[in-house]
Amino acid sequence: MDRIKVFQIIIFIVFLIIILRLFYWQFFSSYSRDSDAFLRESEIPASRGEIYTNDGFPLVANAEAFLIYGKPHELDKKPEDIAKTLAPLLISEKYATISAELSEDQLKQKEEEIKQKERDLLAKLNNKNLYWVQLARKVPLETKEKIQKLVVRGLGFERDEKRFYPEASMAAQLLGFVGFDKFGRDIGYNGLEGYWDNRLHGKSGRLGQEQDPFGLPILVGKYKPIPSKQGASLYLSIDRTIQFIVEDKLRKAVEKYGAKDGTVIVADPKSGHILAMATFPNFNPALRSEYDEKLYRNPAVSDTFEPGSIFKLIAMSAALDLSIVEPNTKCSCSGPRNIGGYEISTWNKKYHPDSTMTEIIQNSDNVGMTYVAEKLGVDKFYDYIAKFGFGKLTGIDLQSESTGNIRNKKEWHSIDLATASFGQGIAVTPIQMVQAVSVIANKGELLGPRLVVEVKDQEHEELVESQERRQVINPKTAVQITEMMVNSVEKGEARFFAPVGYRIAGKTGTAQIPVAGHYDPNKTVASFIGFAPADNPQFVMFVRFSQPSSSPYGSETAAPTFFEIAKELFNYLGVAPTK
Amino acid sequence: MLPVSDFKSIENKRSFNLIGKIKVKIVLIVAGLVISLFFTQLVFANGLATSGLKLVQIENDINRLDAENRILRNEIAKESSLVALSQKADDLGFKKSPKAIIP
Repeated sequence: MDRIKVFQIIIFIVFLIIILRLFYWQFFSSYSRDSDAFLRESEIPASRGEIYTNDGFPLVANAEAFLIYGKPHELDKKPEDIAKTLAPLLISEKYATISAELSEDQLKQKEEEIKQKERDLLAKLNNKNLYWVQLARKVPLETKEKIQKLVVRGLGFERDEKRFYPEASMAAQLLGFVGFDKFGRDIGYNGLEGYWDNRLHGKSGRLGQEQDPFGLPILVGKYKPIPSKQGASLYLSIDRTIQFIVEDKLRKAVEKYGAKDGTVIVADPKSGHILAMATFPNFNPALRSEYDEKLYRNPAVSDTFEPGSIFKLIAMSAALDLSIVEPNTKCSCSGPRNIGGYEISTWNKKYHPDSTMTEIIQNSDNVGMTYVAEKLGVDKFYDYIAKFGFGKLTGIDLQSESTGNIRNKKEWHSIDLATASFGQGIAVTPIQMVQAVSVIANKGELLGPRLVVEVKDQEHEELVESQERRQVINPKTAVQITEMMVNSVEKGEARFFAPVGYRIAGKTGTAQIPVAGHYDPNKTVASFIGFAPADNPQFVMFVRFSQPSSSPYGSETAAPTFFEIAKELFNYLGVAPTK
Repeated sequence: MLPVSDFKSIENKRSFNLIGKIKVKIVLIVAGLVISLFFTQLVFANGLATSGLKLVQIENDINRLDAENRILRNEIAKESSLVALSQKADDLGFKKSPKAIIP
């Protein structure tokens, strides 16, 4: 065989090997163009929608944050040293103040937390079975920069976002918060974050891009990114100034009256929009893990309570609407009454014979109300309770709303009819009370309460209308009951606190708290509900304190707080005195 | 007179040279084509590699500006929050007017 033939055979064999190898790669190897090392397939996280007050100020915004991870095999320093350096940087943000401002106890707690964090980090970094381990999530930019300056090989960062609250704890229970679901993705809990989670969370995008060995994109390769879609932003009816005033006054009042907690709701009766909704004590959503979980609930929509005397407005409205009584109808309320084996008396044991209906409301007369309730009867009273929206959800756009508790009509006896007329034996929520009294302020028309006025995303702007709109009582009845409420403010127990020159419609309430089948005389829920100005209401307001210790009565705790806030609102809204 | 065998070998040599010349030409043309294509690809790849780098730089710039904008926006919101403003007013000694001026 000559040399040319040998050379040809060698070339043939080499080409055959190359072709076979290419064939193997193309058809048999696990090598795949879609999943090879040079194809970067990653998720582009969607920004969550933001939440704005009615002046366009962000109550909830997004801030840049980072996920910090470690690759235990690639670390160029001892895990012990890395854990020791990182631990002080990754503890709770509440310690992000200079050490001199922390008390001794807090310093101790901080030290313990650092040690705990150090142990956690060390365990993760020492686990050589892991290629990649998450060290911390939602780490702020400043912390990330500090860690980056340490220049540790084997530590890396992934871009993320976290919620930022410019007004700190303002409207915390109303807003809710963002936590993680079982897959570690952001999800809203409670309040607006929970209710509107589907609209807020947006849609993640995907990025599939071929890269060269240096990580640079190959432009002639496949390059089809699916962009992420930011979640829709919510524009609320909440007025930031009113919310601030309410929270400030509420905090001071809870401390002054030694109450367990307090809740205030301010709404616009003509639209059903909520202007402010506050509870104290509250929490800072940015540091929520530092607070008791019980504080996450929004009592304004999820707490049920026996309303007490403020519920007299509902019974009286029903009786007036059916023309069963008139404002000047007199009752024979000369003393305590025995109904179904129970004695019904007035709150101060004072009795007012021949009281008119207006005076019954003015004196908050329980005996007088039993007269009204008996004239109404169970069926009619029950119908009006339902018409005013009690016993069912108001439909407010907040998570965890409660229906309250109105027992089935068939279970009502004469004593239940009597006690319900002055707000005992039934349970309602604060937002239901606001909705019901807004009916009186709005000429008898009910508008479901709403918080979100507009939902905006990159493509649409959607106006949100009130879900429910219906006439509950006649406009004439609304005027009559309004006059009774004005009279109650001007001549009732709380008259000394009312601002001079304004016609305010309101009613106090004091309800004992049922404990183990009986009422605890020392524990009350003190409340006041009303609206102003009576002739052209700009706001409906509800104030409630749980177990105030300075005085158990609504007239001495909730009413003064109502008037304190009302004075500020008159100034803010530019409402001039009329008298 | 030439022997028949000699004539045959001369004819064979002539045809072999012709085929060889054609083959060499083809090889040269193919080689030239391959080399020119190789350099063309090199030039394009070089250009694209630079574009890829530029793309990454632009993307990084966009991300950096977005992040800076967001930081500034949040800083403005924080500084103009009612919580911060009321604290500053207190620190500067401002008091609430006891009498309201209603427009």
